[in-house]
Amino acid sequence: MDAPDRPSPIADARFVREVDADARAVAGVRNQFAQWIRSHLVLDEERVSDIVLAVNEALANSAEFAYVTMAEPGTVSVEAVHSAVTGSLVVVIADHGVWYDEDPTERSRTRGRGISLMETLSDDVTFERLADGTRVRLLFADCAAVPKLPGALSEA
Amino acid sequence: MTFAVGEKTVGNVVVVSVRGAIDMLTAPQLADGIRASQGRGPKVVIVDLSEVDFLASAGMQVLVAANENAGPDGRLVVVADGPATSRPLKITGITDFIALYPTLDEALENVAV
Repeated sequence: MDAPDRPSPIADARFVREVDADARAVAGVRNQFAQWIRSHLVLDEERVSDIVLAVNEALANSAEFAYVTMAEPGTVSVEAVHSAVTGSLVVVIADHGVWYDEDPTERSRTRGRGISLMETLSDDVTFERLADGTRVRLLFADCAAVPKLPGALSEA
Repeated sequence: MTFAVGEKTVGNVVVVSVRGAIDMLTAPQLADGIRASQGRGPKVVIVDLSEVDFLASAGMQVLVAANENAGPDGRLVVVADGPATSRPLKITGITDFIALYPTLDEALENVAV
């Protein structure tokens, strides 16, 4: 009988960053994330664009709205995990701010468009308003991994 | 690709060419560039995104606002092709009210003034 906890020869791939919640840092982490996707997953250009744009919109929301009421911006984190078993890519973008009131009449058109893009470009998205911040979870299904030899590094 | 906004005139049409990524960081520069071009009162402003490799909602909002700013005697059209630019413009429905052409040549042919 197979040992149930024998490690898979293909490990999950992971991308983890925490950066200042400002426009310049967001652009930097977006570019790094795009590079990580291209080196770890086998996706057509349209899918890559969709994923990078969706993640950007979540980051941009944090940079624009999370720390508005605070003297200095805090940080925003990105944690992406690709499951070698299910092929799902899950990206969680989290900040420790308090987004401006969720009054739809106050919502700027840009933010409304950003949220709409996240919904359209991903296979699932959830938005959590927590006591200590906001979390966006994006799911992208059916993402194939670049084949790797057992024991090869997959951390980024 | 470093972000850059350039402008040239082709007859009565002003072409605003953009290079690089248009996001919350660079969108204000794009807005400034388009505003300056529109300020000269051309009949048509073509925003050429052929060399743009990323277009965020912040950039799309600049296009929408510039289109509204074009006024009754002006017009704004966009050149874009590919998954990073024309696709988001279509997905968000912006192409329902802003004309989109895949190449600058096609745009120039269609906006002849």
